[in-house]
Amino acid sequence: MKLEGEYTFNGPREEVWKIMRDPDVLVTALPGTKSMKQVSENEYDGEVNIRIGPISGSFNGKLTVSNEIPPESITLTIEGKGKVGFLKGAGDVELIDRGDGTTLMRYNGEVQVGGKVASVGQRLFDTVSKSMIKQGLDKLNETLQDRGVR
Amino acid sequence: MINLFHLSVTVNGTLYEQEVEPRLLLSDFLRHDLGLSGTHVGCEHGVCGACTILFDNEPARSCLMFAVQAHGHKVITVEGLGTIDRLHPLQEAFWEAHGLQCGFCTPGFLTTLVPFLEKNPDPSEEEIREAISGNLCRCTGYQHIMDAVKLAAEKMRD
Amino acid sequence: MTKQFIGKRIKRNEDPRLLTGQALFVDDVEIPGMLHAAFLRCDYAHARILSIDVSAARERPGVVAVFTAEDMGKDWEPGPPLVSPPPTLQGVTFHSRRQAPLVKDKVRHAGETVAVVIAESRYIAEDAVEDISVEYDPLPVIVDLGKALEPDSPLVHDDLDSNLAAHLYQQKGNYEAAKAQADVVIKKRFYLDRGAAVAMENRGIVAHWDEKSKQLIIWDTTQAPIAIRNGTAVRLGLSENQVRVIAPYIGGGFGPKMMMFYPEEILIPWVSMKLCRPVKWIEDRRENFYATTSEREQLHDVEMALTKEGRIMGLKDDFLHDTGAFDPYGLTLPLNTQCHLMGGYDIENFSSNCTAIFTNKPIVTPVRGAGRQQGIYVIERMVDFAAKELAIDPLEIRKKNFIPPDAFPYNNVIVDQAFAPLILDSGNYLPVYEKAVEMIGYEQFVKEEQPRLRAEGKHVGIAITPFIETTGVGPYEGARVQIETSGKVYVSSGYSTQGQGHFTSFAQIVSEQLGVAVSDVRIVTGDTAEFHWGTGTFASRGAVVVGNAVHAAASAVRQKVLKLASKVLATPEDALELEDGKVRIADIPHTSISLGELAALANPLRGAVEPGTEPGLEATDYFGPQYGATAFGTHAMIIEVDTETMMIEIKRYIAVEDCGRVLNPLIVDGQIHGGVSMGIGNAYYEKLHFDENGQILNASLADYLIVTAYEMPPRIEIGHGETLSPLSKLGTKGVGEAGAIPVPALFAQALENALLDYDLEILETPLSPNRLFELLYKS
Repeated sequence: MKLEGEYTFNGPREEVWKIMRDPDVLVTALPGTKSMKQVSENEYDGEVNIRIGPISGSFNGKLTVSNEIPPESITLTIEGKGKVGFLKGAGDVELIDRGDGTTLMRYNGEVQVGGKVASVGQRLFDTVSKSMIKQGLDKLNETLQDRGVR
Repeated sequence: MINLFHLSVTVNGTLYEQEVEPRLLLSDFLRHDLGLSGTHVGCEHGVCGACTILFDNEPARSCLMFAVQAHGHKVITVEGLGTIDRLHPLQEAFWEAHGLQCGFCTPGFLTTLVPFLEKNPDPSEEEIREAISGNLCRCTGYQHIMDAVKLAAEKMRD
Repeated sequence: MTKQFIGKRIKRNEDPRLLTGQALFVDDVEIPGMLHAAFLRCDYAHARILSIDVSAARERPGVVAVFTAEDMGKDWEPGPPLVSPPPTLQGVTFHSRRQAPLVKDKVRHAGETVAVVIAESRYIAEDAVEDISVEYDPLPVIVDLGKALEPDSPLVHDDLDSNLAAHLYQQKGNYEAAKAQADVVIKKRFYLDRGAAVAMENRGIVAHWDEKSKQLIIWDTTQAPIAIRNGTAVRLGLSENQVRVIAPYIGGGFGPKMMMFYPEEILIPWVSMKLCRPVKWIEDRRENFYATTSEREQLHDVEMALTKEGRIMGLKDDFLHDTGAFDPYGLTLPLNTQCHLMGGYDIENFSSNCTAIFTNKPIVTPVRGAGRQQGIYVIERMVDFAAKELAIDPLEIRKKNFIPPDAFPYNNVIVDQAFAPLILDSGNYLPVYEKAVEMIGYEQFVKEEQPRLRAEGKHVGIAITPFIETTGVGPYEGARVQIETSGKVYVSSGYSTQGQGHFTSFAQIVSEQLGVAVSDVRIVTGDTAEFHWGTGTFASRGAVVVGNAVHAAASAVRQKVLKLASKVLATPEDALELEDGKVRIADIPHTSISLGELAALANPLRGAVEPGTEPGLEATDYFGPQYGATAFGTHAMIIEVDTETMMIEIKRYIAVEDCGRVLNPLIVDGQIHGGVSMGIGNAYYEKLHFDENGQILNASLADYLIVTAYEMPPRIEIGHGETLSPLSKLGTKGVGEAGAIPVPALFAQALENALLDYDLEILETPLSPNRLFELLYKS
């Protein structure tokens, strides 16, 4: 399933980048995240509770970052597994300075799911993933603003 | 320790009182706790209709309800519609028109159709088709079921 | 035969119980102390198991036991094959790989069983399944049939060099020579994809091992109770007589319940013996999509050689067949496909290579039609394309090529699923075909209605598709008929029933012989304690094989009745008649004796019997046909397509069937209706969607769309031919699968016809509104 879109952050690129790489921020941002820990330079381990329609369950996952060109672009790879299924995905994220103090984020990736969540949740993926991403990015944006930047 | 709930429900005219877990499905309660196994479970996600019962005289999917939701209410299952010695005219019509083959989906059709026929004593072909469109049958292709409903309407009008 | 009962529309004996919720299905079995099973199934389609930790599950209150492959010890082994390849075929490659009851090394399709939890309730068992931790090493997955034989493809079975499961080649005459002489050669590639049976009742099994009496009783939703009994006895080290398998009322079979041994069928009885308690497992709907078999995926490369007048000189079809992760069912499906590739046509030259391939998908075994759909789809599409290419009317080209009535029995030479050469026993195809043409009003529609509707901008199409169906194959079935002292007749057979009306149609055969009311004949099927010789319910063979066994046994009882009554009434046998449950003297009808009284006399408590007599009025007989009886039919349809929504409306549907002697027209009609509804689903609404990870994306009835009353035509109009089969006394042929077989080909023809202005070429099935949109948009 393809996941792509755009989002505008109210802050400069460098600050957006910092937040994105901060596990303590990520844990509050991504909906359903119970815990997130940075285990190495480029790896984060976490536990996320996901609900798609009638199926809900927790996933243990690993997020890996690569192709880092701060503060421009980054590739995120995730792999997660739980009682209700598994998921893996990869995506490219680009940050563009719009010159007015805001940052445009572009993301483009693909996620594959398996297990119960795949067989019963298909028709809801699109809306649920969009809503989860929007929620997460809104929270990041909030944090960005709370940190006194603009 | 799970908190049991004291359930009180009338099924086919008899009042039953039992301690049940809140998460017990109504379909399981009817089939296994009360031994009324005529209500069948085909999908447990509310699509096939085999588990349809009458909840306060309206058709409802018993697989999508908890037994505790029936507390204080009235439930009728296929066993409450008729007996082998005294078939409901709808059951007779299904018999005569060959409206069933394996019989697994049949109780759900019967409970759906009894209130339908009571409200629509002279239904058109279109109305019948719509009335059964929420029940899945893999054996009959629905044609003899449609015939059975027409025949039942006739019987019930007489 | 007096035809008093056979051929009559008689209400079914079994209905009152089914209608009042009094019929026993497997999940209705309740035994004191019964435990419940739930399975941990792997989500990955291909993964190595690194470790399994069931300790938390074992500690949950209410859990009695948890078993993995390790825990089975030396009792763990892959199941026995159900069908081996025909010994009569030369040069067959066959790699037999069967599924184990619990996975030990690696998982080969999503949904394979990794552990089983036994608990006080299904609710607790499912909770405990989530307590189990498994470490998997996910492996690359192969689902694409076209890619599975490439050298770098992931291997489903590591001990093989490739994913080749089987290869066989069959031929008739000399295709290459025919091709060299042909005026035209048409080449096409067809892709057919999977569908599921979706019986309304999921599978289930209750096993009860009684340690004191050392008896095992199993209730199983199987179509083959005797085979289950025999196999289970061997596996568990029991005598066959210690095991009783009951297939009670079953909520639809359609093929997958014939498959055995499913892992659960091996495990649940084993667990019951281990724990000395009854154990129940009922499949839920999502499990059914993964853990119950499905079929139909094939890729065909076809060539047809014809004269310019449209006479088919030869057919060549090399095809790939997806067998899923294991192949317990041998070559049955590909052989069925091959045997239907020539349809009902007189084709002298044929060549076909079939390659069966392992993939990381659920196991493939027959689903109503059992490979015949695919064969008929290919031949009928090719004939349609040939007609177009040669500018010959599609009806005329078929009439030119049908096997003529005087050519029967017609030997098609190639070997079929029953290991015998495909001989079509009898048929008279042209009148059946023409009846369909007439019933749908073909001439009038094509000349008047269609042009008028097209001028109004409507997209209406008409299609007519003939087909054959091989039915009634052996090896054999048996029946025991006994007149009881009550005057009622008891009949048992090793067969099993999933709604086909056996309790009535077989009773009609008995009534015809013994003159008793159909409702006074009690038929018992599916219980190995009542009858323990037989194979199973598959391949549309009930009416033929069991029907004739019942007929033979009932005739034998009739002879005994006449012999005894002749003595008792002091009248020669030929002056006696059997009617209304009595034996009467034909000219002096008030002189009679009831069958019940005769039965009592046949089992005296005192006195001597003549040497050679058997007690009672009972006989057991068997029937094994030389080869299967081939039925013929033609379906016709008029549809309208909405080119914006791609939704279709079936305006008219005709099914003309020639299934030999009809036992009960009401039941036959029902079988045809049901078959057509599955065929319509197969053609336009149903498809199992697998993604590249071997996940089924529509494993629920909300997304796997089986037909509702709305998708059916207003009425299926049925016509009959009745060409008796010479292979049996009753002359019956099967019809259980017929309704489903021609429908995908019918839809392809109808849609192309409806969308003539789009110049569509349909080379695949199933279609769907989405897919049709893609095809139109592309063209």
